[in-house]
Amino acid sequence: MTADAPPAVRLEGITKTFGDVVANDGVDFRLERESIHALLGENGSGKTTLMNVLYGLYDQDAGTIRVDGEPRSFDSPQDAMAAGIGMIHQHFQLVEPMTVLQNVVLGHEPVDGGLVDEDAAREEIEALCDRYGFDVDDHLETPVEELDLGTRQRVEIVKSLYRGADTLILDEPTAVLTPQEVDGLLDLLEELRASGRSLIFISHKLEEVLAAADRITVLRDGRAVDTVAAADTSRQELARMMVGREVSFDRPAREAIPGEPVLEAEELSVAGDRGLERVSEIDLTVREHEILGIAGVQGNGQTELIEALTGHRVPDAGRVRLRGDDVTDVGRRRRLEAGIAAIPEDRNAEGLVQEYDLVKNALLGNQTVPPYANDGWLDWSAVEAHAEEIIEEFDVHPPDPSATAGSLSGGNQQKFVVGREIGHDPDALIAAHPTRGVDVGSLEFIHDRLLELREEGLAIVLISSKLDELRALADRIVVMYEGTFIDEVDPTGTSDAELGLLMAGQRLDEGAERETNGRSNLEGTQSESDAEATVDRRTGGDGER
Amino acid sequence: MSDDPGRVRGALDRVAARLLDASVYERVGIAVGSTGLALLIGLVVVAAAGHNPLLFAQQLVVGSVGSTGAFTRTLRFTTLFILAGVAVAIAFRAGVFNIGVQGQLIVGGIACVLSILWLAPFVPNGTLGGVGLTLVGLLAAVVAGGLYAALPGVLKAYYGANEIITTIMLNFIAIGIVGWAVDGPLRPEDARSVRTEYLPEGVGLPSVVFSDPNFSILGLGLALGVVGVVAVGMTRTSFGYDMVTSGYQASAATFSGVDPQRTIVATMTLSGMVAGLVGAVFAIMVQGYFIDPSGIGTYGFDAIAVSLLAANNPVGVVPASLLFGALESSGSHVQIHSDVPVQLIDGIVGIVVLFVAAPELFRMLAKRTGLGGEKG
Repeated sequence: MTADAPPAVRLEGITKTFGDVVANDGVDFRLERESIHALLGENGSGKTTLMNVLYGLYDQDAGTIRVDGEPRSFDSPQDAMAAGIGMIHQHFQLVEPMTVLQNVVLGHEPVDGGLVDEDAAREEIEALCDRYGFDVDDHLETPVEELDLGTRQRVEIVKSLYRGADTLILDEPTAVLTPQEVDGLLDLLEELRASGRSLIFISHKLEEVLAAADRITVLRDGRAVDTVAAADTSRQELARMMVGREVSFDRPAREAIPGEPVLEAEELSVAGDRGLERVSEIDLTVREHEILGIAGVQGNGQTELIEALTGHRVPDAGRVRLRGDDVTDVGRRRRLEAGIAAIPEDRNAEGLVQEYDLVKNALLGNQTVPPYANDGWLDWSAVEAHAEEIIEEFDVHPPDPSATAGSLSGGNQQKFVVGREIGHDPDALIAAHPTRGVDVGSLEFIHDRLLELREEGLAIVLISSKLDELRALADRIVVMYEGTFIDEVDPTGTSDAELGLLMAGQRLDEGAERETNGRSNLEGTQSESDAEATVDRRTGGDGER
Repeated sequence: MSDDPGRVRGALDRVAARLLDASVYERVGIAVGSTGLALLIGLVVVAAAGHNPLLFAQQLVVGSVGSTGAFTRTLRFTTLFILAGVAVAIAFRAGVFNIGVQGQLIVGGIACVLSILWLAPFVPNGTLGGVGLTLVGLLAAVVAGGLYAALPGVLKAYYGANEIITTIMLNFIAIGIVGWAVDGPLRPEDARSVRTEYLPEGVGLPSVVFSDPNFSILGLGLALGVVGVVAVGMTRTSFGYDMVTSGYQASAATFSGVDPQRTIVATMTLSGMVAGLVGAVFAIMVQGYFIDPSGIGTYGFDAIAVSLLAANNPVGVVPASLLFGALESSGSHVQIHSDVPVQLIDGIVGIVVLFVAAPELFRMLAKRTGLGGEKG
């Protein structure tokens, strides 16, 4: 490569709006050949939109795309692929019942006499895999649905390479991987760069970006803040660029107020969708004026525990009590009316009806609760007033009750959901990942509100994958591992490394092992503002359900 | 070569996006436009088949609104389409695909006739008895239709059986069993056609305004009343909100405390109750007895198109039914008064149905398949 060769991709002044929302605002971006370029930003900062523009999924409103110096305009991903650009989406685009081989060649099958020439395809894929040290060719005849997520991701990468991609875009590639798989992926990216590919790596995790990328472009609110060399920057600087200001995550001062038990679970056992026991004989008590934090790697039974507490899932054994009343056999609707509010894990699917406006969404969950409903009849004016109240009190933008939920940004959606769920003065609140995918401003706002509610006497169960969130809010933290609470710790007296060990299933008294196993990603997350505790161990795009 | 599929997909996406974003007015425009276009194509086909298209067009108008007789016939069909369309709309709105309205209306109709015939010996003759029997018949039809629809509802909710398949199968079962009964045990000895006994004197809906023996303004009033009840129920009650929300986004409805299984069963039951009413109105107002169900017009199937044209909105079902009623009415007129063959008329009605329902169907499909891009 000569020094003046054109960059692999150059974006100039890309602007993309959705209705009134400006997703990208005059973004410039330059991907050098044979480099790994990270696109860093909070959720909703416009990273994925920018890449979807490059990949032909969206038409930009303004700006130009150059690939290898040539101005290009892509009408579809097929056009982008033809120009050597491949994209690995966060949610894999694989046909699950089909084999790896069929998935890789899909749409580009080598043909021999009108039939798919599987032998030629196999040879070609094996050659590719040999070159990069992929293990994908071990599974060529295996249906994709039988593979773990890390392998599926490699199948996606092989698929792009098979189609001749020189430039690969990876959208949040680590979100679904285990820590070991993350290490493997980062090695693989190096490998691909060494073989002459150019890579764009979308992430909001600072450590990964610093470890993997050559250069880093930070996006905030749809604008490119700056592009820096990974070697010349620090986590602190990147965090400041991402957020736009210094953010304090110190634990707010508070005093313990002893209160009555509100929500209790006793020897609770819950089976998951496949009938396997996911929660095993858990005891739990949350009192008034208390926030109980539940830490754990995702997929250790938190979802099932939440569902058993909210009334969405019938436990196999054990009892759930609300203020002493047994509510084990009471369904969601009556528990909700009885005062168990819940912030859903997945606000897009569960918390909001995307096509409803905010008024109709304000009724969601309240459709049998006075004053919004009386004897089965709805009072829309009360609902509308409620919607306006939430918008006002939780600073939802745009402040327009007739806006559809789907048109709001993630942070505003979440503020609306939180506002609605605590709106009817519940006794207990189950808050699952209340700040997931939320910008930092909204995050602080939600945290403050949760602490206020605690002051007012609400009993809160907080499930989060962010250790700093648990540390800032919880009065006690229990660590969930394989369906049980492995330990209970004091949020102020326990380090992130110790929590990390517990989350990995090791008790703290196993001190000797701690030294040898305490390595890896867990330490890296300490004291970092946006650090996710560990990589979510999801088994599917939407978690365990 | 390789980017051709991309172009097609891109074009499809744009069309789908346009349809998804269409406002209410645009959708009304699309419906009116596609109706006009379909009729135009129909005229071309008629001309190509060697008939006079202008004469044919004139016959269509005359046959639907050209005389009092034609007009009441149009209203008669409209009444049936409104009820059947609302039955479909209830289910579709809640995201449940009840394709079994035809079967449910047959079961409702026969239940209506049988209950009246069985009870007739025990009630006094005259107006009072007639009114009583009529009400009993309507009630029996509602109950029977509701139960017949609850069955696939239960199968879907608790056993995961696809309701499209079960309701279609139940259509065949209803046609078969009722067909056998009407031709066998229920057929009077002196009946020259396949039918039940005549309903007793006094049972029926009085004509009031028009003198057509097969149409009563009360029947139309009943249908409009059902529209009103369903429309209010859907928008102003907790249950309606549960139902419609389940149709939009089942996961969010469940999280908000809706019991998905019970909602599915309730939706199917309600839909079937209205479908049963179609059968009762058909038996009481139109026929005066019950006939071989394979000879009953395909109101239950046409209602799917009616509902789609109305975007599954119960109020929208009324104008959509008027259009379908007029087409059905003029079809039967043209069949008698012109030499255009019957098959051609059916074909033209088919084109209209296709054109009119396709945009809405496409909309629903686009929503389901994610064509037209993800929102938000």
